[in-house]
Amino acid sequence: MRRNIDVSGLVDHEGGLLDRAVFTDHSIYAQEMRRVFAPSWLFLAHTDQFKKPGDFFATFMGEDPVLVTLTREKKLKAFLNSCRHRGARVCRADFGQTRNFTCSYHGWSYDLDGKLVSVPNEAGYPESFERDDWGLVEVPHIETYNGLIFGTWNPSPIPLRESLGDMAWYMDAMLDHDDDGTEVVGGIHKWVLDGNWKLAAEQFATDWYHVNMSHASALMVMSPTGKGPRDEIVHRTGRQYVDPNGHGAGFPVHTKNRFDAKTVHDHTDYTALRERLGDARVEGPLTNGHATVFPNFSYLPVNGSIRIWHPKGPDKMEVWAWTIVDKCWPDEVKQAQRLYNLRTFGPSGIFEQDDGENWSECQAIAAGFITNGVALNYQMGLGSEREDGRYPGTTSELYSDAAGRSFYARWRTLMNTPAWHEGDAR
Amino acid sequence: MTTTNHSTVAGGLASLQTHFEVQQFYYREAELLDDGRYADWLTLLADDLDYWMPTRTNRLRRQQALATAARGEAAFYDESKESLAWRIRRFDSGMAWAEDPPSRTRHLVTNVVARHVDPDDNAGFAADDLAVRSAFIVYRNRLEREENIFAGSRDDILRRSDEGFQVARRVILLDQNVLLSKNISTFF
Repeated sequence: MRRNIDVSGLVDHEGGLLDRAVFTDHSIYAQEMRRVFAPSWLFLAHTDQFKKPGDFFATFMGEDPVLVTLTREKKLKAFLNSCRHRGARVCRADFGQTRNFTCSYHGWSYDLDGKLVSVPNEAGYPESFERDDWGLVEVPHIETYNGLIFGTWNPSPIPLRESLGDMAWYMDAMLDHDDDGTEVVGGIHKWVLDGNWKLAAEQFATDWYHVNMSHASALMVMSPTGKGPRDEIVHRTGRQYVDPNGHGAGFPVHTKNRFDAKTVHDHTDYTALRERLGDARVEGPLTNGHATVFPNFSYLPVNGSIRIWHPKGPDKMEVWAWTIVDKCWPDEVKQAQRLYNLRTFGPSGIFEQDDGENWSECQAIAAGFITNGVALNYQMGLGSEREDGRYPGTTSELYSDAAGRSFYARWRTLMNTPAWHEGDAR
Repeated sequence: MTTTNHSTVAGGLASLQTHFEVQQFYYREAELLDDGRYADWLTLLADDLDYWMPTRTNRLRRQQALATAARGEAAFYDESKESLAWRIRRFDSGMAWAEDPPSRTRHLVTNVVARHVDPDDNAGFAADDLAVRSAFIVYRNRLEREENIFAGSRDDILRRSDEGFQVARRVILLDQNVLLSKNISTFF
């Protein structure tokens, strides 16, 4: 049964209040799958994962398993990873190289274009049976932006670049250091978290505030003295980009901002980057910072961490995190960035450990009847949103909930808008 | 106890006495980790330590050889003694909230097979050093109801020193694809 809920009362983005039912309610979660995930551009993979025809990668769009393939014509395609016969996954490997995907249940076999190419005992089917009618269900739109592959089930989406808007300017600070772009370190960190996907997505959109407290231990061991960060670190100022489509990015602004990994810093030609990206980006989103592309793709430029928060029910998510590096970097610089990222972020990282603890903590108690009805505060920086003349679009202070408010405003709009697959039904 | 009586055939199984010493070393190590005495645990590690815990992937059977991430690819740990010391300083900072209050853990180490190192295959090691494979289960209970079980194997090279064994190489294979816990806040 589909019962659509009017979520207007759950998100007060003007007053900065959020009802905790958005993290716990099963009906709301099911509606998110229909109205937030199905119509939106969702991150699939990095283009560097596809070098030769036959390279494939298995991931999820919302909770739907999909296969991304590079066809013989070197075209990226994506399909629902579910056999059209009885529905099993046609591929149970994480990634690899193949010519066909053969279902291990009855043997229906599909090629890299999703076409059904072989059916055991095909003579047993009626004459009306046409293999062409039974290919894998294709994701209708795939687009890339500077190495990032996105797909959407929306039959008539706004083009990806347009939906990113000014967010693309901020993303380029990580993805477009030179003409060669980025590549991925082999392998993906995957782990589970007992928390709603939005807890992580909103934090990466809007939350520098938690850094000094949540990550106090990490900041301490990373400080030159080992005793704690200097005041100028704690009292940093910066900007937070607030995108009307729910994206967000925050970053300290300082003329001496730099990469944390020493080898990466030493290698970096900041003068060349200033010429290519401009002073505002080098002094801001090039290095320290956080960002979310709505709904569930996030990244950390200083670590080269890109990640997706796969929803797995209202109270669970699965985190998939890649490390990206500049293709032109020498191997020792790439390795230094990889090691810096795995020691700070990723499930054993000295920062990430504490993030996981926070999200599972917020989730664990949110379902209590009284607790659930106690609104959460997103009021920091209320009214601070403005155009500052240096950073594109609307920005707020480094310490602000502005992008979080915008994230939930976008979520509210989508949740209250029937998607294409609903016809006119409400 | 005599210490001169080791059977030191390169690649050969360790003697009963040596096997016993290795087991006792592992039990001591497990005790230090379970008691949260990480700085003391660090003293059991050699200065040239290579400590590696790669991620593992599901691959088509014909590509099964690639099911463990290669060196330089995604790993849960890829550490030197120095970087482990860095991680341990964080735990001892008093502000590592992921372990405050601390979890309860129990490291169980079993299936120990100890062989003498073949120096031809392991530059920098002597036949007196040991190549040891073991299996582990680490149980973690956190706060009220959180439970995790980490199971896997360890391939070590233990170097004999005047103070006893030191771990010089450790490869940890966790028997999971998606890590089924919110973080890894202990060592193996």
